[in-house]
Amino acid sequence: MISTPRYLGRGSWLGSRDPRVPIVVGVLAAVTVIQLWDFRIVAGLFVLAQLYYRTARIPFRLVRRQWAFAIVFVSILVLVNTILTGGEIGDFDRSDLHPLFYLPLLGTPISAESLSYGATQLLRFLTFITIGFPVAYAIAPSDLGPALARLRIPEKFAFGVDLTYRFIPSLAGDLQETIDAQRVRGFEWDKGKGGLIARIKRTIPLMVPLTMNAIVGAEDTIDAMDLRGFGTGKRTWLRELRYDRSDRALLLVAVVILAVITAASFAGLTRLWVFPPLLELAGA
Amino acid sequence: MSSMSMSRPMWGVDSRVIVYAAIGAALYGVLAAVSIVIPGSNNVAVRPAFALVPFFGYAFGPVVGLFTGLVGNAIADQISGYGLVTAWNWSVANGLVGLLAGVLAAGSLAKMGGNKIVGAALVGAVSTALGLLFVFSDIVVFGNDFNTALTGSYMWALVPDVIAAVILVPVLSLAWEPLKESLGR
Repeated sequence: MISTPRYLGRGSWLGSRDPRVPIVVGVLAAVTVIQLWDFRIVAGLFVLAQLYYRTARIPFRLVRRQWAFAIVFVSILVLVNTILTGGEIGDFDRSDLHPLFYLPLLGTPISAESLSYGATQLLRFLTFITIGFPVAYAIAPSDLGPALARLRIPEKFAFGVDLTYRFIPSLAGDLQETIDAQRVRGFEWDKGKGGLIARIKRTIPLMVPLTMNAIVGAEDTIDAMDLRGFGTGKRTWLRELRYDRSDRALLLVAVVILAVITAASFAGLTRLWVFPPLLELAGA
Repeated sequence: MSSMSMSRPMWGVDSRVIVYAAIGAALYGVLAAVSIVIPGSNNVAVRPAFALVPFFGYAFGPVVGLFTGLVGNAIADQISGYGLVTAWNWSVANGLVGLLAGVLAAGSLAKMGGNKIVGAALVGAVSTALGLLFVFSDIVVFGNDFNTALTGSYMWALVPDVIAAVILVPVLSLAWEPLKESLGR
């Protein structure tokens, strides 16, 4: 039932990189994409993102459901935004828009600009998702803590992330056991009638025992950490991390792209590009 | 069994804080699979597990709440298929909910109504309403306009999350109180 994060990029080129690389590339890509509204540039970045994603060799059949969910979800979000913008797109005045038609009942103008904006927004989302997947699937869970610590994230926070990933499989197992135990007692949390409040109340027999057992069970972990002197000095990590030539090259590419896009953004070159065929259709 | 409770600095980070934070984040991620489709909606799902964020902040402090929301939401997004960093600003919003719950738990809001049930519910509701305001950053991050951020993001998340927090935070707090006494926390 529960799909815990898995190291699917094991053995791939990206999976063999220093674990800091996907994290840093992800952050740089996010800052880059935020500045872009020109569909042509976003499309170029999306192609680069796809090439980057393919170096992780994540088997598609194992992430098919995640991709489907993400694509459907962002498509709905873009559609809702297009309908709700009510004709206001970025820096465009309503009088500058080239309407193609008006939505019945709502009267929202669907213009060449709003369709171009929606398409660009969708592609931006997909680029975010493409860059984000390797962060989850191409870094070994045991490498996350050292990677974050070496990125100057406070070491206790980095250790916390490491510990979180270690708890997930056992808690997932406990959740399934709790569901099964309640089912044996005749309780099915996902069946039964009622509104939202009644349904939330039906999750109480799952959430309360699972949460309390997890908290009580954590006492052993706390004692183990205290006995080993956690927090009394600077923590070292078993895994040594060093950038190699490929890591530096990949990071350099990401930094250069960010620098170029930022300069272009300041020069006003990354604004919304309205698709010419749509403008022709609107009679512009 | 010891019934002495220990007071700790609100912003201190020791082994207990780290472990509770990791438990909270992992629980949030795992319980993301327990989602409820809103009756009458078009497959819109609610995560009751969200209530863990204000609960962990309320029970264990702002640092634990912040971590539970921030890391837990990222993991929940990854497990549910949306991607670890796609909506990073929503992870920050969840983190702020937990942080605020921890701060408000130490204040007078938690004592309003004269009993812990009302106090916990108030802390859960207020921290959720304030923390989720950060989702208006969708305007900058995703290019959504204000109306979409308000109705498509904020209100859409606020209503079910506040309901989950108001119902589940007091229940979890009531379950935790006797355990807390017996563990000497």
